[in-house]
Amino acid sequence: MNNGVPSILVVDDDVDTCRNLSDILTDLGYRVDVAHEGLSALDLVRRNHYDVALLDLKMPGMDGVTLYREIKRLRAGTVAIIVSAYASSATAEEALTAGAWQVVAKPIDLTKLLGLVDEAVGQPLLLVVDDDQDLCQSLWDVLRERGYRVYLAHDERQAAEHLKEASFRVVLIDMRLPRGDGGSVFHLVRDANPQARTVLITGHRSETEQAVQQVLKEGANAVCYKPFDIPNLLTTLEGLVEQD
Amino acid sequence: MQPEQLYRRYQELQQYVGWTEEDAKRVQSVAELLQLQLPALIDDFYEEIDRHPDARKVITGGKEQVQRLKGTLLRWIEELLSGPYDMNYVVRRWKVGWRHVEIGLDQVYTNVALSRLRRGLLRALEDCLHDDPQEVLAVRRSLNVLIDLDLAIIEDAYQAEYLARQQRTERLAAIGQVAGGVAHELRNPLNVVKTSVYYLLNAKNPTAEKKAEHLGRIERNVILADNVITALSNFAKLPVPNLRPFVLKQCLGEALETISLPAKIQVRAELPDSLAPVLGDIDLIRIVLSNLIRNARDAMPDGGCLTITAGEADRSVEVAFTDTGIGISAENLSRIMEPLYTTKARGLGLGLSIARAILDKNKGSLRVVSQPGQGSTFTVRLLAAPE
Repeated sequence: MNNGVPSILVVDDDVDTCRNLSDILTDLGYRVDVAHEGLSALDLVRRNHYDVALLDLKMPGMDGVTLYREIKRLRAGTVAIIVSAYASSATAEEALTAGAWQVVAKPIDLTKLLGLVDEAVGQPLLLVVDDDQDLCQSLWDVLRERGYRVYLAHDERQAAEHLKEASFRVVLIDMRLPRGDGGSVFHLVRDANPQARTVLITGHRSETEQAVQQVLKEGANAVCYKPFDIPNLLTTLEGLVEQD
Repeated sequence: MQPEQLYRRYQELQQYVGWTEEDAKRVQSVAELLQLQLPALIDDFYEEIDRHPDARKVITGGKEQVQRLKGTLLRWIEELLSGPYDMNYVVRRWKVGWRHVEIGLDQVYTNVALSRLRRGLLRALEDCLHDDPQEVLAVRRSLNVLIDLDLAIIEDAYQAEYLARQQRTERLAAIGQVAGGVAHELRNPLNVVKTSVYYLLNAKNPTAEKKAEHLGRIERNVILADNVITALSNFAKLPVPNLRPFVLKQCLGEALETISLPAKIQVRAELPDSLAPVLGDIDLIRIVLSNLIRNARDAMPDGGCLTITAGEADRSVEVAFTDTGIGISAENLSRIMEPLYTTKARGLGLGLSIARAILDKNKGSLRVVSQPGQGSTFTVRLLAAPE
């Protein structure tokens, strides 16, 4: 669990750059981890939740964009800011297409970068628990676009892990999961993230209706039926986030 | 090229093909006769162009332009037939070739077009002089030589201009490449300086140690940035070597001292004490050896062994650097000595090209063999110092 202190991962093959960013961010009260290449960065990502990852674009071995793609597979909720000494629009575009949030140029404008880090940390953290990977990816794109940070879990076990490591504002729970079901995920949320709002999602209206009603009675905040009415879902989410 | 130069060249070519005043007179004698046939010849010429898309595409101005071009072609043939074959004549021929590069007309079209015109002219000639086959033959010979000379000048201009344009493009590409490499190599140290300054100005509770650490880092990175500029200017202007005998083993020792090698890389320097002294500029050769050692280090990120051996052969001394690193693919092998070519995330890509340039000036050479996945051997050859 992050104890409410936002955590930042800094990856740059330049040791001095890492030390400096670490000193500056630590001084501002962030928890900072540092790695000098992709594989050790991924080791850290497997073990810890990071709110923001600052990734150098050009590194020996794995480049920053490839590294971000791997991070996204493990922890889709980590916001990536790519740092580049080349101001090429092609690489910037590639990074943004991969889902990175921002691309900033070296030498870094720190006022701007710290502003971005602060903004990213303030973006509401969501968890989507659904075994449909395509749906998850589409939702990720739609919600990211709206300024949410979105973690993805495809079964109850993954959901449990994420819930242990970060505190979510809203959790979207598919009622039917291959291992476990929406009801037990709801209980997990209530235990690990009691402050989190919950939205139930279901495509099997008749089969799951009874379970849905049960979980709503226990305190789930809303229910959305598949296929999604996206504007409706977004309005629901906005309402839930604003209540805090 | 200057008009005088062009004209001299033309005269040389005239001599080469045995062109004489007589030839000139013979061609000029039929100028008036052929005059009437020219418009039909020219119309046929442009009709043919219209049938070839690659030739047609350079005519972008429609009918008006074709009309203008027909006028130009008419003047060109009139000049061809009447002379005088002086400096201005040559300069105008030269401009044809130059212009063809500018509009992107492939030179093959000039060749075949002239072939078509030549046939047309010769046929017209036969029609006009049908009662004097002897004379037809003589004029034919002269006219053929004259057209070949024209073609030679146009071809010459085409090649010169084409080359000049190509070089300009390559120069621009090289500047772009340098700018990209320099940007990366300078922005990294600048980034460190900038962030350290930010820390020193904004940190809430920096300890004295932290402050000293950041000041030290600023100094180190200013030196790094300066090194980038030194490397670039070294490359742009290599000093004239001061060739003197020196002991290679000592030079290698100094080079090894300046490079930090991780513990997982083992170095075996096996230079015999009996090795003959070499001839070269020790300060420059040290740069070569350092670059090769650094490359070997970078080729072994997971550790390995760098073996340095030396031997004498045919009044020269060879020192070989063999690493057990990642090796170099055949594709990269042909390019690694090009300036600004690099496969590393850091670096300008000048190390090997500097090494080779230095060795050239020191009457030495550099060769490489490599096996991807196994390692590489770079061998430096230097002159043995005369006894």
